[in-house]
Amino acid sequence: MKTRIDSVEDIIRSFSEQGYICSERIALAVYLAAQLHKPVLVEGPPGVGKTELAKAAAAFLEAPLIRLQCYEGLDESRALYEWKYGKQLLYTQLLRDKLGGMLADTDSLEASMDRLGDLGEAFYSETFLEPRPLLHALRSEEPAVLLIDEIDKADQEFEAFLLELLSDFQISIPELGTVKARHQPLVLLTSNDQRELSDALKRRCLHLYIPYPEAELEVQIVAARVPDLDARLREQLVAFIQYLREQDMKKLPAISETLDWARALVLLHADSLEQEQVADTLNLVLKTEQDVTLARELLPAWLRKLGKR
Amino acid sequence: MPVRRLSEFVQALRGAGLRISPDEATQGMDAAALVGYQGRQRFHDALAMTLVKREDDRPAFEETFARFFAVTSGVASAAPQDSAMPAPVGDAGEGDEGLAGDGVESDAADLTTQTPAELDQRLAEAAAQMDFTQMEVITQQGLYTRRLLMNMGMGAVDDRILQLDQGDAPGQARAEMLRQWRREVREQAAGHVRRQFLLHGAGKGRALREQTMRAVPFRHLREFQEVKTLVRRMARRLASLHQRRMKKSRRGMLDARRTLVASIRHDGVPARLHWRQRPVQKSRVMVICDVSSSVSDAARFLLQFLYAMNDVLPRVRSFAFASRFDEISEDFQRYSPDVAVGRVLDRLSGSGTDYGEMFADFWRRCERELDSHTTVIILGDARNNYLPEGAEVLQQIRRRVKQVWWLNPEARSRWNSGDAVMDRYLPHCRLARQCASLDNLERIVDSLLKGLN
Repeated sequence: MKTRIDSVEDIIRSFSEQGYICSERIALAVYLAAQLHKPVLVEGPPGVGKTELAKAAAAFLEAPLIRLQCYEGLDESRALYEWKYGKQLLYTQLLRDKLGGMLADTDSLEASMDRLGDLGEAFYSETFLEPRPLLHALRSEEPAVLLIDEIDKADQEFEAFLLELLSDFQISIPELGTVKARHQPLVLLTSNDQRELSDALKRRCLHLYIPYPEAELEVQIVAARVPDLDARLREQLVAFIQYLREQDMKKLPAISETLDWARALVLLHADSLEQEQVADTLNLVLKTEQDVTLARELLPAWLRKLGKR
Repeated sequence: MPVRRLSEFVQALRGAGLRISPDEATQGMDAAALVGYQGRQRFHDALAMTLVKREDDRPAFEETFARFFAVTSGVASAAPQDSAMPAPVGDAGEGDEGLAGDGVESDAADLTTQTPAELDQRLAEAAAQMDFTQMEVITQQGLYTRRLLMNMGMGAVDDRILQLDQGDAPGQARAEMLRQWRREVREQAAGHVRRQFLLHGAGKGRALREQTMRAVPFRHLREFQEVKTLVRRMARRLASLHQRRMKKSRRGMLDARRTLVASIRHDGVPARLHWRQRPVQKSRVMVICDVSSSVSDAARFLLQFLYAMNDVLPRVRSFAFASRFDEISEDFQRYSPDVAVGRVLDRLSGSGTDYGEMFADFWRRCERELDSHTTVIILGDARNNYLPEGAEVLQQIRRRVKQVWWLNPEARSRWNSGDAVMDRYLPHCRLARQCASLDNLERIVDSLLKGLN
């Protein structure tokens, strides 16, 4: 991992080289997180590039990205570590004779117990430990970027469980003791605001809210991601998307949808937002029938207004 | 900068209602030190990221930031000498004025000839003698500003202006100049007082107001601006309380079949236990709100409360009626509660409530969905305009559902006064409560959630 980050500009430059165009605020968040060793909680509507941010940050820091996708019912055994029960059982089966031999010359139960005790914690050792993403991140040979995706989907208990990791970069495993991070990872948590996160979690994190981008920024994003799209069409497309976001939609189009649409228009060799083409491809942008119908109604008027300008 | 300045800022934010822990404050200072104080935008962003953890708090932060870092000229002014005080005016006319040498004049001149830095000093000294921590409400600011100016010795200047006004033309011109100077000084003093208020008064006043807000009847709540935030906070507290309770009741039965099947892999050793899943929570809440003028305030808060809790109360269907009856769930799903309430009131408001007709209508629409998991909550004053009560339909409804609750915004003693017919409906309600303030409402929703799980 890169240990020195010169400035916020450095981050913006590197991100844009990777095709991740971001506002200064986003870059500042990464900068502060890396310098202050604090996790960042990234919130915002779906599809504004929260997960992409983690990928870009990993690429920028030249660090491996370890990702933990959260879901309801996620628990420690999926997130942190698990004992390989099967392997443990298999070993005891295979070693049964050996163990029998070892214990053969003991005459009392206590003596057998003692001898077994001498074996130590053989069955609860590293051999049988199955590390999951969090433990991976802590024990990684080089500092990593840890992405805890959609933390709002996990249960509240899990949130509480994360607190130790987030504040001290360590985690307690009953059988092994406390595992401290070899190198402090850069932690990014994302949330879609499905559920209010606890104050304790928020307190430990820097907070970054990514809104839908301004028109200017969105044009840059489309330009970087879909370079084949005609410049004039690009402006039109973004203007229309921005207009849609102001409407009374069930699900507002996000950046990812803008990009999908841009790619589709490139494939269709479109050179302006002509009505039929737009109407036919609207379902790439809007995901419910109601929204598509509404957008179809709005489009002619919008195009007329555009023509007048 | 001045760590002191930043910690004052944190104080001010707390006064504005943000909850900032000491640890977060330290983070904010570290971040500020890291980005430097040159770029205002970046400085602002760094503080926002470390101190604001909830989007609702952002407006308060923006406002406080703008106010706090504007009072002294900008973020970059680390040096206190960079004062906004007006330039001295007193020495200008000493020689050519007939009134010079007057006792009053010398007192005034003493103040008006001071350089901005000296004036700042004087203001600080005067302020130090005063106790700003007693400030509680925003309207006290004027009083404190006046007191501060008097402490600075502004009284002499006032007298001098009065005196000059009586005199000749050049005297009056000079009075005008002094008046302008006084205005500028007063602005500085007012700025100082405002900051002190943010530090000390706002927080205390807020706690006081919150207490009041919880207890006053709904119809007076409009006068409070922060009531929305308070409702949201109360709802959030309740929600998190019950979320935990819900989780607790989830644990329980061992699923013997699945545990056995899974153990086959491990030669019959049950290496992993499987637990029986909690059955999906089926309870459903249906709310019927009277939104006629007398009750609409209570309805507004009840609905806001219920929809702010959709973490723990996922299946709420709501209906409203005044002169007409209609379902309003859609409005609340699509819009924020404030907007939705406005829309509903526009659509349905009116007077002339007819409870009998409403029950019949509700029965027609929802008969099929009423089952033993449903709780029906009715919010209304039971003022039926002497129309048929339709209590038998309510009885029908009650037989179908788990329970019927009645919330009445009026005091119990008035439940049967005039055209109100509560006693006809009461036998069919499992619970009837007065619901006239946020405190009442909180208690009701709390017991609702307790009953559901």
